[in-house]
Amino acid sequence: MDIEMSFSEEIANVMYASHGNPITDCLQCGTCSGTCPAAEFMDHTPRTIIGLINAGYKDEVLASNTFWSCASCYHCTVRCPAGIDIADMMYALKRYSMWKGEHQEGLIGPVFAQSFVKMIVDSGRSYEPLLAPTYIFKNGPRGLVQEMQTATGLMLKGRLPLLPKKIKGLKKFRNMVRRIIPIGEPT
Amino acid sequence: MNTKIMMIDDDPDFVAGIKSILEKADYSVDVAHNPKDGFQALQAGRYDLLLLDIMMGRGAEGVALARKIRKDPKLKEMPVLIITGLREQIAFLFPGQSVHPHFVETDELVEKPVEPKLLLEKVSSLLALAEEKKQKVPG
Amino acid sequence: MKQYAYYPGCSLESMATSYNLSTLEVAQTLGVELKEIKDWNCCGATAYFPVDELLAHTLVARNLALAEKDGLSDFVAPCSACYKNAYFTNAYLKKDPDLAEHINYALEADNLHINGTMTVRHLIEVFIEDVGLDEIGKKVTHPLKGLRVAPYYGCQLLRPRKENQNVENPQFFENLLSALGAEAVDYPSKTRCCGGSLIVTNRKAALDMVHILLQDAVNRKADVIATTCPMCNVNLEVYQNQVNREFGTQYSIPVMYFTQLMGVALGIKPAKLGIGKEVVSGEPALAFAY
Repeated sequence: MDIEMSFSEEIANVMYASHGNPITDCLQCGTCSGTCPAAEFMDHTPRTIIGLINAGYKDEVLASNTFWSCASCYHCTVRCPAGIDIADMMYALKRYSMWKGEHQEGLIGPVFAQSFVKMIVDSGRSYEPLLAPTYIFKNGPRGLVQEMQTATGLMLKGRLPLLPKKIKGLKKFRNMVRRIIPIGEPT
Repeated sequence: MNTKIMMIDDDPDFVAGIKSILEKADYSVDVAHNPKDGFQALQAGRYDLLLLDIMMGRGAEGVALARKIRKDPKLKEMPVLIITGLREQIAFLFPGQSVHPHFVETDELVEKPVEPKLLLEKVSSLLALAEEKKQKVPG
Repeated sequence: MKQYAYYPGCSLESMATSYNLSTLEVAQTLGVELKEIKDWNCCGATAYFPVDELLAHTLVARNLALAEKDGLSDFVAPCSACYKNAYFTNAYLKKDPDLAEHINYALEADNLHINGTMTVRHLIEVFIEDVGLDEIGKKVTHPLKGLRVAPYYGCQLLRPRKENQNVENPQFFENLLSALGAEAVDYPSKTRCCGGSLIVTNRKAALDMVHILLQDAVNRKADVIATTCPMCNVNLEVYQNQVNREFGTQYSIPVMYFTQLMGVALGIKPAKLGIGKEVVSGEPALAFAY
C-alpha cells in the first residue's frame, strides 16, 4: 500500500462515510459559488476551494476562512450537478482543521464550536448567554454596546431566561458521551 | 514468516514515521487511511498486530472499529495498539483528564507523539503476549 | 386523537418562547396531541459536526430513543435545525448497522436503546399533511383577509433533500397561508439562507444575508414575514436594527412564527400566542383580525 497521499485523498478519508460523490468528480462549473449566499465573504469561493484541494494546495486551503463561513444551508449540495455533498465537505474541512489545530487566526467559528460542544457535554442543553464570551468582544466597543442592547431588549420581552437549564440525567448522559469520546473516567 | 502489522491512521506524515521505524526493526507494515479500507484489509489478509488511530473520518471512529474487531470471530484475538492524539485534538471537552487506557478489553494505548523505543517495546510485548495465548489454547 | 412525541428544542425555551406557546395552542385547537419528550437534550445544532459527528448522532439518537420509549411513532420538531439533525441521524442509523450498533453501545450507558422505529417530521408537515388544509380552513374563524405574508422557508426545512421534495420552488407554505385567508407573497429569496449561526461567527456576512431577505420581502410589499424556525426568526427580527445601522435602511417589518398566524386565524387570543414578545411589534399588522 502506498503511503504517499495527496491532500485531496486526505480530505477524501475524512469524508469516507459521506453520502455524496468524491470531490474529484468536480466539474469546476461554479454552480456552488453562484448559489452560495456567503461566497462574497469567503477568501476563496466553494468552487475555488475544491479546485485548490484537488490540486493539492493544502496551506492555502487551511489558511482560508471559506469553510468557517459556511452557514450549512445545503443549497450547493442540492444543486451540484456532480452530486458532491459540498456542505458536508465544509464540515469535513472544519474537522480536519480543528483536529490539527490549524486555522486562520482570529476566527470565531472554531472557538464557538468548541464552547458550544463543551456546554452541551456539561449540561445537556444550550443556553445563548453562556456562548456570548466567545464573540461579544470581537466586534469592538460599538459591537459590545449593540449586543448589550439586543440582550436587554430580549430579557425585557421574557425571551432570555436568567439561568441555564440542565437535563436531569446528567451523570448517565456524560457516561454516554464518554463511550463515544473516551476521555475522562466513567463515573 | 515475517511479522505483519496493519496500521490504520489518517495522518500521512505520522504514518510515514511509524512505518519506517517498524520496517527498520524488520516488521512488514501495511497501511489504510480510513476505518472502512482498514477493516476490509484486515478481513482480506492475515495480520499479527493492529496499530489504530482514534480520530478519523466522522470522529472517534477508532473506538467503534476496535469494538467491531473484538466482536469479529476472525479478528478478535488480534492484539490492538491504539496510538492517538485524541487529547490534543479534542481535549477541551474534558480538560486535564486522561484518555481511557482500556476502552476495549485487551487494548493497549499510547499517546502521540510516540517515542520509537516505547513503540517497539509495546509492539514486541503485545506480539509475545498474543503468541503465549495462542499456545495455551489446546489444538 | 393521534399522539406525537414533541421535541421543542432549546430555542423554544428562550428566544423563541412565543413559538412554543403558539405551537401548543394551535395543536390543541386542531386536535393534535403533542407529548413533550422527557428530559430531552440539545440536538447539537450545527456546531457538533466540526468536532465529532459520531457524538452529534449520539445526542440526537438519545432524543429519538426517549421518544421510542414512550411508545410513539412520530418525532415532531418545530425548529428546522433540530428537524434536519433528527431526520438525518434517523435515516443514517437505519442505513448503517455499524453506526447503529456503536451508538446503541453509548446509549446503553443511559439505559436507552434505539430501534429506528420513529418517523421524523417538522411541525408544519404535521399540520399540513395530518390535519390537512381543508380541516384547518374549516376551523378558521378570523381569516387573515388582505394580509400580505411572505412565507420564509429558510434552509434546513427543505435541504438537504428528503424524498421527493421540491427544494427549488416548494408551495406548501403558500398553500397553508391561503387556507388561513392570507395573501402569500411570491418573492425570490424564500428559500435563501438567513445566515444561521453566522450571526455569531461572521456577523458581517449574516447581516448581509438578512438584509437581502428583508429587502426582497419589503419590495414585494409584504406586511409580515412568516417563519418555520427559531434561528431564522431571530436573525430576521432581532437583528433588523443592526441591518438598518449597517446598510442605512429603515426596515421595520414584523416577523412571526407560522403558528402565531395560524393561531390568530383560529381565533386564539394574541397573548396566548406570545404575540407582544416581538422586538418589531406584530400587533398593528394583525389588529384587523380581532
